Amino acid sequence: MIRLHAVWLATLLTFSGSALAARIEAYVATPAGSPVADAAVIIEPMPAAPRARRATATIEQRDRELVPYVTIVQTGTAIDFPNRDPFKHHLYSFSKAKSFEIKLYAGKPSQPVVFDKPGEVALGCNIHDWMEAYVLVVDSPHFAKTGSKGLALFANVPPGRYRLRLWHPQQKSELAPRIINVGAAPTRLDLVLDIAPRIVKPKPPVEADHY
Amino acid sequence: MILRSLQRRIVLVFVGLLALVMALILALVTRSNGSIVAAEIERELSAGTHVFTLLIEQNQRQLETAATVLSADFGFREAIATQDRPTILSVIRNHGLRINAQVMMVISPERILIADTQSDALESRPFPFPELLPDAASAGKSSGFREMRDGRLYQIVLVPISAPKVIAWVAMGFLVDDKWARDLSEMTGLAVSVVRHRGNGVTVFASSLDGAKRTALSGALTQWPDNVTRALPVGDEHFQTIQVPLGHEASVVLQRSIEQAEAPFRSLQTVLWTIVLAGIVIFALGSLMLARRIVRPINQLAMAARRIEAGNYAEPVPSLPPDEIGQLAISFDLMRVMVASRENEILKLAYEDTLTGLPNRTRFLEVFSQLPKDSQGAVAVLNLDRFALINNALGHSIGDRLLNEIGLRFAHFLSGTGLVARLWGDEFAFLLQGVDQAAATEFAETVLRILRDPVTLDGQRFDVGGGIGIALYPRHGQDGATLLRRAELAMYAAKRSHNSVAFAGDAGDEPPHEQLSLIGEMREAMAHNEFLLHYQPKLDLVTRKITGAEALIRWRHPERGLVPPIRFIPFAEQTGFIREITPWVLETVAAHTAQWRKDGLFIVPSINLSARDLLNPGLVGHMRTLIGSHGIPADGLCLEITESALMEDPQLALAHLGELAALGFKLSIDDYGVGQASLAYLKTLPVHELKIDQTFVRSIADSPRNAAIVRSTIVLCHALGLTVVAEGAETTDDLDWLASNECDIAQGFGIARPMPAEELPVWIANYGRTAGTSP
Repeated sequence: MIRLHAVWLATLLTFSGSALAARIEAYVATPAGSPVADAAVIIEPMPAAPRARRATATIEQRDRELVPYVTIVQTGTAIDFPNRDPFKHHLYSFSKAKSFEIKLYAGKPSQPVVFDKPGEVALGCNIHDWMEAYVLVVDSPHFAKTGSKGLALFANVPPGRYRLRLWHPQQKSELAPRIINVGAAPTRLDLVLDIAPRIVKPKPPVEADHY
Repeated sequence: MILRSLQRRIVLVFVGLLALVMALILALVTRSNGSIVAAEIERELSAGTHVFTLLIEQNQRQLETAATVLSADFGFREAIATQDRPTILSVIRNHGLRINAQVMMVISPERILIADTQSDALESRPFPFPELLPDAASAGKSSGFREMRDGRLYQIVLVPISAPKVIAWVAMGFLVDDKWARDLSEMTGLAVSVVRHRGNGVTVFASSLDGAKRTALSGALTQWPDNVTRALPVGDEHFQTIQVPLGHEASVVLQRSIEQAEAPFRSLQTVLWTIVLAGIVIFALGSLMLARRIVRPINQLAMAARRIEAGNYAEPVPSLPPDEIGQLAISFDLMRVMVASRENEILKLAYEDTLTGLPNRTRFLEVFSQLPKDSQGAVAVLNLDRFALINNALGHSIGDRLLNEIGLRFAHFLSGTGLVARLWGDEFAFLLQGVDQAAATEFAETVLRILRDPVTLDGQRFDVGGGIGIALYPRHGQDGATLLRRAELAMYAAKRSHNSVAFAGDAGDEPPHEQLSLIGEMREAMAHNEFLLHYQPKLDLVTRKITGAEALIRWRHPERGLVPPIRFIPFAEQTGFIREITPWVLETVAAHTAQWRKDGLFIVPSINLSARDLLNPGLVGHMRTLIGSHGIPADGLCLEITESALMEDPQLALAHLGELAALGFKLSIDDYGVGQASLAYLKTLPVHELKIDQTFVRSIADSPRNAAIVRSTIVLCHALGLTVVAEGAETTDDLDWLASNECDIAQGFGIARPMPAEELPVWIANYGRTAGTSP
């Protein structure tokens, strides 16, 4: 459920300002008021923006974790999965948006993985059950991820009509997207998203890692 | 009854004590066994329940672990992720086999069944156990016992399939069946059953119990409470039972068979019982043997005692081992010898006349009683003539020697062919078996002939005579006493009639039936006033005056006429009726006397008292009352007593005589000379008068010997201060002789016959006149 507290302000700014890109700050909290980290805030231009140039991203495997936990990419982005651990990992995804598998490997895989369909992709390591990461593939160049304080920042958003979407790996339900108008003035969006607590699978200490 | 026997008592005490001790031991063992078994069952059930809980938890963890591991399998996850139902179904079938799960289900995150090994149907339906999901979501696994569509119970483990996000749930069902129950039963040592309670119905899903008990269990468990330990009968067995809920109507029932737990103790008890019973049997036999050893000699002694009791002194008491009982046996044997010798002496005293050594009256009667029932013969009684006079004149030692000599003669004469006994004094009795009247007569005459042979003692010659009375049996009686009495009566009759021999029938006593009727009639006679008194006057030979009269009873029988006293007085004495006659006589005489004294006639009437009267303790008192009521002085009456009456109980007779004499009554000895009483003895009595028997007086004229006896008797009596009365003075000559020999008083036909009371005063008045005129 999204509540746009600054809709009127933003609209006012859009019409009164110049053609300069606007700065948008989005705050995502739970209904109880706690800030939500790792939430993806996407604003999709209407009509849809053309396919962007080929972009890249990196999701590292470090200290037996996939970092970062949530990665948001535009459709067509190629993601590298460099392995910084002294042992191999077996990366996989069974998600509809992108199903792939990089069997036991060390170092940097020979080819990045291209995420060419929008949607949510859950990543895991077959030999380390607790390793978990999400890639959200979106058809928009404007997206941001909330930090630990629940804040997501958009630096240059050209004024116009956008569809606002909110996503989180532990979201209890998918939210219906809302239309927003972005002007030149900076906009603050207060967003509410109900999420389940993240269940962190137990990670054995390194010393005891005798797998 | 049992306790009468010492042997049984010993055995009973021994065996009883053993049985008591054994019973206590048994009771103790049984009781402690019972509590041990109960505690053991309780302990086993509680331990088993604990083990069961642990096993279930452990089993669950293992299943969960296995399920978790399975769910993490990459290939498995990959297959699930394909979302292709046939693939999913085939992979869960395959992986189900890997971990031995009978049922596998895949559930979508939306809680819809994607695949189910139990059903190939394509329709989607919600997961039937959604309550398992929250736990599985938070803890990564959850499990529970659930009944599936096939009506069977499964242990279900639910785990998420993460890729790495939860893309589905997989539920694995492990069948809870009898094998499951049996495995747990083996591990817990308890019977394990899993049941479902729905309403009042109980369904058994699985059980380690066999068919029949399994069936019985569902009935027995109705309304059974959870977590409570209680005994439950199942079929023919009892189980300590606890029911632990597994959730969702399912419960596990854990049971320990009470019978099985008791079995070892039962066998112990069987062994104990065997030992107890064997012990009792051995003890019983042992104590029986011991008791026999103790009792056998006692029984032998008891048998010996019974022999002695029966009079058999010949067999000695058996000699026994020299213990206490042996000592007793020796003493007992000594006692037997002493008792035998003493009894011999007593028998001798009892059956033998000490003076002559002949059998006595008792022996005579006993010998008679031992005769065959239908035998016949005779009993003869001999009385010596004038023996009292000889005794008085020459002393007892001469008298005794005379009796002894005569006894020897009879014994010698009979020597085995018959029995002679000395009854008392100078009276002998003979028992003649198989003789008739003629033979008896002949015998009697032979006896008299032997008697007449003079006896010489200290150079002095004695001519002895006697009278014999004979009673024949069975003609005159059946028993010895009757025959002796009748023979005695016959003997007296013979003496009176101066015949030497008389038979019972001749003696005037009635045939038995006639006697009996007379006895019966006596009572009536008294009531009908048939008795009356006649008086025979007594003449004072000095003053020639009538100074007294003897009262003589008469019976005026309505049919028989006048019955003489000899016919009924002896029977009245025998039957005791005399006790009624005598008071009547006394009363009547007293009345007459009082009347006469009133009329101025002062005579002293004499009254005969029988032995019974004399021994009657009320006699003295009666006499005192009598004279008091009629107002006559005591010396206005004279009481006549025969010698034989004195002999029955001399001490009591003497005491009564003393009291009567002290009261002032005149006392007279009647029929002197017939019996054996000596003057010396009579001297000791408080009597005033002595009546010489008529047998002596009647023959004074003919027999100088009798005359001499009468004369000496008169002299001796006077010397002793006694008045002498002569009975049977029949003629004037007799009276003259008596008067000239200083006899004091005479009585007899020579003076007057007995007469009715009312005639007496007139007669006396007339006699006084004639006596006054004639010498």
